[in-house]
Amino acid sequence: MYVRVFAAAWLLVCAGLSLVAWGFEAPFAYDPVGPRAYPLLLLFLMACGSLWLLCKPHGEPTPPFDWPMARRAALCVLAILAYALLFEPLGFVITTALATFALGLLFNGRVLPSLISAVLMGVLLYVLFDLLLDVPLPLGVLRLLES
Amino acid sequence: METLNFLMQGFDVATRPTNLLVALFGAFVGTVVGLLPGLGPINGVALLLPLAFALGLPPETALILLAAVYLGCEYGGRISAILLNVPGDAAAVMTTLDGYPLARQGKAGIALSLSAVSSFIGSMIATCGVVLFAPLLAKWAVAFGPAEYFVLMIFAIACLGGMVGDKPVKTLMAALIGLGLATVGVDSTTGVYRFTFGSVNLSDGIQFVVIVIGFFSVSEVLLMLEKTHSGQKAVKASGRLLFNFKEFCLTFWTMVRSSVAGFIIGTLPGAGATIASAMTYMSEKRMAGESGKFGDGDLRGVAAPEAANNASACGSLIPMLTLGVPGSGTTAVMIGALTLYNITPGPLLFEQQPDVVWGLIASLFIGNVILLVMNIPLVGLFSRMLSVPNWILVPAITAISLVGVYSVHSTTFDLVLMVGLGVFGYLLRKLEFPLSSLILGFVLGEMMEDNLRRALSISAGDLGILWGSPITLALWAMAALMLAMPSLRWWRQRRRGKLNEAHA
Repeated sequence: MYVRVFAAAWLLVCAGLSLVAWGFEAPFAYDPVGPRAYPLLLLFLMACGSLWLLCKPHGEPTPPFDWPMARRAALCVLAILAYALLFEPLGFVITTALATFALGLLFNGRVLPSLISAVLMGVLLYVLFDLLLDVPLPLGVLRLLES
Repeated sequence: METLNFLMQGFDVATRPTNLLVALFGAFVGTVVGLLPGLGPINGVALLLPLAFALGLPPETALILLAAVYLGCEYGGRISAILLNVPGDAAAVMTTLDGYPLARQGKAGIALSLSAVSSFIGSMIATCGVVLFAPLLAKWAVAFGPAEYFVLMIFAIACLGGMVGDKPVKTLMAALIGLGLATVGVDSTTGVYRFTFGSVNLSDGIQFVVIVIGFFSVSEVLLMLEKTHSGQKAVKASGRLLFNFKEFCLTFWTMVRSSVAGFIIGTLPGAGATIASAMTYMSEKRMAGESGKFGDGDLRGVAAPEAANNASACGSLIPMLTLGVPGSGTTAVMIGALTLYNITPGPLLFEQQPDVVWGLIASLFIGNVILLVMNIPLVGLFSRMLSVPNWILVPAITAISLVGVYSVHSTTFDLVLMVGLGVFGYLLRKLEFPLSSLILGFVLGEMMEDNLRRALSISAGDLGILWGSPITLALWAMAALMLAMPSLRWWRQRRRGKLNEAHA
């Protein structure tokens, strides 16, 4: 069932992207194929696959939708998304501590141990990557402390 | 003779102190990643790839690191399989069947040491195979033109459809999605922007690291939410820690047979370690017949899949090094790593970058010895890592993933894109689309389009060039055969079912 929903959605995506791809035209013909044919071919094949998945009879019954699981997954995505968005403005140390704390709680960690491991991770990973391994990471707000 | 000289040159490269250190580090990290349930070689390689790049390691060192991680994962997967009954990576599923019963019988030490040796023998035989066959294939592959390459990639994708899992349509769809993602960005022939939706950040395409980490690390984190098997007790490795001579003799030929079979399966583009271990386990079980205790703790049942999965891991380097076509999801990531260094894998690699190729091959020998030495005495240490709780492990994986993505371009855009792709990958995995074929598609994508268009430019638009030479015809036939495999299997099963009904 879920596969069919996905296949239907994907079919729509293919249709939309085909419209976009139709507009790819090169000012001169550099090669006989041009930039349009290959993506259109891929989209056509994908659409065929989606149709197959949509129409093929599925024997197994649909398992009920797992709402608590979906809620946790959504929370987890939100935490990682916030992590990604705040990574530069707030800096690595602070966002890492916050995000790893949130994720720790989400994965059934107890509050105090998660907090300790989160702060340690923020600081230690910064030292490891930025100072020891020379991978530049944003300092963010902590830059104020530097000057 | 020539090969031997090159191999010695390779050992020169591989025994440089930094490279040895990197191999040691990679072997250790690989074993740890491999034994953690859920994290497989692709995750390990994906996490270390941006790091290797950001550290400014030279290409041969980076490749040695990734290869050591790859091999280490194949070693590590067996530890959790035997002690926890949870496969550390997909290829170790077969090892649980006999490994866990053995551990329950108090023979965990024997199973662990014997499987380490079979992993070692598997990798060694396969690495010798690489030394013998890779240069030959590379010489032969120079004759490949763009049309041949295009059809070869079709064959690789057909292999995926025919061999990975039992859902060929989903596998092919996943590969197509990968191919489609590769078209994002500026078209290299005409300079037309495709699917960038006006974003500057997408103009040179989706970054490889973003794809790999999004699809494998982020989606893995989300999947791990469901697996809360923490608190499961590992069986203590007690009793005899080393196998005896008799047990070694019993399993020796199993190891050799499985290694050869695993190597051959590994060299097929697309078919990887999972298939190799399943096939060898089944055939050993059939060969042992009544005398075996397969399923209740037969040592051969541990030796066969372990030898095979390591052998196929090494074997899958052959298509990668000689043709530039990955033999497995993990080698697809390694090809991506090479392209980050502006090195195009393919037949010319052997002539243009002998240091990279032979250094890598020599480092396989060295890495193997390191892993064997590391794995037998340190197995207690590794098994203790199984008790790291998820609430420490998962945040750490997330943080390292973000660092990895950020280190490539230092933009928030890539981070957000990574999260988006991670969610998409999570949905795909929930719907049972195999993501390893998506990665393969992404890596092949650009090459495939370039070769198709180059071929058609040569022929001035005549499609006939795609089946004009004997090589292309043979490849088309092989691809068709691969695509027919699932229906053939299905037909045979149905017939057997009918026969059984008739007998009953």
